[in-house]
Amino acid sequence: MKMSKKKYGIILGCAVFIMSLFTALHFIRKERQITIELGIFAGSNWDVANANSYVIIDKAIERFEREHKNVKIHYSSGILKRDYSEWLSQKLLLGKMPDVFMILSDDFNRFASLGVLKDLDKLIEKDPSFDREKFFTTTLLTGQYNGTQFALPYETVPTLMFVNKTLLQKEGIEVPDSDWTWDDFLDISQKVTKDTDGDGHLDQFGMYNYDWLDAAYTNGAVLFENGDNKISLVNEKVTQAVKFVKQLYDLNQGRKVTQEDFDSGKVAFMPLTFADYRTYKTYPYKIKKYLNFQWDCITLPAGPNGENISEVNTLLMGINSKTKHEKLAWEFLKLLTYDEEIQMDIFRYSQGASVLKNVTGSKEAEVILQEYMEESERVIDNELLSRVIEQGMVAPQFLRYREAVSLATSEIQVIIENDKNIDSSLKILQNKINEYLKQ
Amino acid sequence: MQNKKFSYLKISMISINFLAVSFITLLIYITTKNICDQFIAREYLNSVSAIPWSPLRNIIVTLLLLCVMTLSYIVREFIYPNNNKVMYITLFIDLLISFVIIYFLNFNYNGILFLVIANVITYTKGTRGRYFLMLLSVAAILIADYELISINFNMYSINDYISFYDSATQQSLMAGYNTIISVNMILFIIYCISVIQNQRGTIDEVNTLYEKLSKANEDLQAANEQLKEYSKITEKMGETRERNRLAREIHDTLGHTLTGILAGLDACLTTIDIAPQETKKQLEMIAEVTRQGIKDVRRSVNKLRPDALERLNLESAIRKMILDIESMSNTHVTFESKVANLKFDADEEDTIYRVIQESLTNAIRHGKATRIWVYIESDNGEIVLTIKDNGVGCKDMKKGFGTRHIVERIQMLKGSVEFDGSDGFTVIARIPIRWGEEYD
Repeated sequence: MKMSKKKYGIILGCAVFIMSLFTALHFIRKERQITIELGIFAGSNWDVANANSYVIIDKAIERFEREHKNVKIHYSSGILKRDYSEWLSQKLLLGKMPDVFMILSDDFNRFASLGVLKDLDKLIEKDPSFDREKFFTTTLLTGQYNGTQFALPYETVPTLMFVNKTLLQKEGIEVPDSDWTWDDFLDISQKVTKDTDGDGHLDQFGMYNYDWLDAAYTNGAVLFENGDNKISLVNEKVTQAVKFVKQLYDLNQGRKVTQEDFDSGKVAFMPLTFADYRTYKTYPYKIKKYLNFQWDCITLPAGPNGENISEVNTLLMGINSKTKHEKLAWEFLKLLTYDEEIQMDIFRYSQGASVLKNVTGSKEAEVILQEYMEESERVIDNELLSRVIEQGMVAPQFLRYREAVSLATSEIQVIIENDKNIDSSLKILQNKINEYLKQ
Repeated sequence: MQNKKFSYLKISMISINFLAVSFITLLIYITTKNICDQFIAREYLNSVSAIPWSPLRNIIVTLLLLCVMTLSYIVREFIYPNNNKVMYITLFIDLLISFVIIYFLNFNYNGILFLVIANVITYTKGTRGRYFLMLLSVAAILIADYELISINFNMYSINDYISFYDSATQQSLMAGYNTIISVNMILFIIYCISVIQNQRGTIDEVNTLYEKLSKANEDLQAANEQLKEYSKITEKMGETRERNRLAREIHDTLGHTLTGILAGLDACLTTIDIAPQETKKQLEMIAEVTRQGIKDVRRSVNKLRPDALERLNLESAIRKMILDIESMSNTHVTFESKVANLKFDADEEDTIYRVIQESLTNAIRHGKATRIWVYIESDNGEIVLTIKDNGVGCKDMKKGFGTRHIVERIQMLKGSVEFDGSDGFTVIARIPIRWGEEYD
């Protein structure tokens, strides 16, 4: 009996020894080569053509790997933006979530609530070299969920107002200043809406695609309170916005303005993103669109209760809450979002704007923007751009938000077209959408 | 038999826990694969409140931990049975492992704690640690409930994964899952009942044994009493036998002699006047017979140990003997002992006593002495016994004058004896003594 106990003891000891050996080997191997998995998608977040989708990332990786000898950063290339959400969700379900990854705005709230994203507040606190103030407030706000920073902004795009300079020139109207108002907008629209060829139908219009949401934002309306899954439509600001859009709509006398009208230079104003602006204002895409007229971008007109602001879209990046390489992931995330050199590359190789105030407001950024444009073109004022981003509206980042907003947009369109009572219709609509959001 | 039953029950419980854990982790893994194959992962994410860290890792970690738990069971049960230290360590490890497994399963299954409780019940009988571990496990069962914890924490639920399937599959999966949980519960209850029954059986057994012991004790006491009776009877019987022996001895020797003497004397009475010469011869014959009778009596009495020596120690016995002799005659006896403690082995004492007795009798009977001196002293490990008298002495030593006995007795103890009849009569006996530890 004693002998067999001894034997068992030896066997047990051997097992423990082998196990610890394997563990040690595992750690040694890990020490030698660390791989940080990166989750990114190809192409632009702003749905514009982008030939250089991996250039910035590749540059950042090269620099990071140079600074950290035993670290490799790996990403799967070729995942399109429309597949990215599903791809990332599958990785999440399978427990193979990348360490650092881009987050589409529809996914942010869900991921944050599932506990997938690392609480960055703790990392920021521990990192004395990190200063939140360097980011545009709006962009930083985009990465917050219930007041906690779960993601950092990587690239941002505000909405601007496209102006057909040729058309305004023809009508003898000056391009509005950046602090123009609804009244100016309505006034110009009234002036330009006319039948130019005399066939009895209107063929020149004030605006295309400007909807109640643009108006509501510029009138200071807050549709979604933070963390609240409720839309708020019944208030003076929204009512004013809807009424204003109806005024604009009525100018067209029932004629629906199309993209074709716009492309052929017959519309004075259209809201478009900064990414669109950059893509179609520079070579090679410049020659594909808007060839027969000159154009520029200004801010959106301010309502009686609001300012010249617009929705700001920001591409976020976060860290996997279960990453094994927290420090390296944070370093890399910082390199992508906080490093001025990499952020300057956003202007060089992407279509958005940098999320850092210093970069977007710099002379260098202006030079880069100018580089690809014709001498005669007026480049968007950096100060203006910074202001639009800093004061912009952040759209709530959950999947249902977009559905709720598109539901509201189509219903409001019906209200406007059918001349319904706006106040009572909005009340009904608000209940309907909240009912939908509750599900 | 009983142990075998418990082993089977416990092995069944371990197996069912393996089954439950595999069911949950495999279901999650397979469902995840299905979700990914159908490209509805993002949609699925909208319908859950949490997801497991990694389905594959969950399978590996939980099953490995269960293996460790099984190993700890083997160590506790078979390798180091009845070792308190090992028992507590392994039970504590079991508890920790079950917590980790429950954590990995996000509280979807806490049945593993029943296994721990079953072990705690079995091994920690009546010790304080038992209540502590039991309390801990029961508290853990109460706390480790999915419904309860999911209120405050985001946790994945097995139901979310089951509800991925169509309703028919959902029903069979739910049925399978609930069956496993129920079987585990039932096994646990059976186990508890068995333990209770087993403990009651032990109590009964102890009671039976106690009764048997009491009965045996009573029997033993009775036997003891009987034995005492027997010993009394035996004593009595010995006494009776001794009396009978004495009676026979007296009858055989004294009776025979006295009868002979009486017959001789009767003959003398008739012949004394007619033939005095013949009568004289006859009387001489009677005297001879009488002498022979005395010899026989002496022999008989010699067979019995003197009372005085039996009751008293040697010195007291000698003094008593001297006192008796002084009271019966005019002889003055002086007794001096230079040996501090006259205590020897029984045969030595006997010999000393007899030698003194014979010498005194001889001195009075043959020497007509009026003064006798008795000395006892030790010399080179021998006892030197000197009896001297102021009697007539004896120029020509004749054996049989009471000296033969003395010589025989002394020779039996390998001693030597000298007789000197020149000035009174002196007996000097040297007896080598086996000095025992009693001698100071």
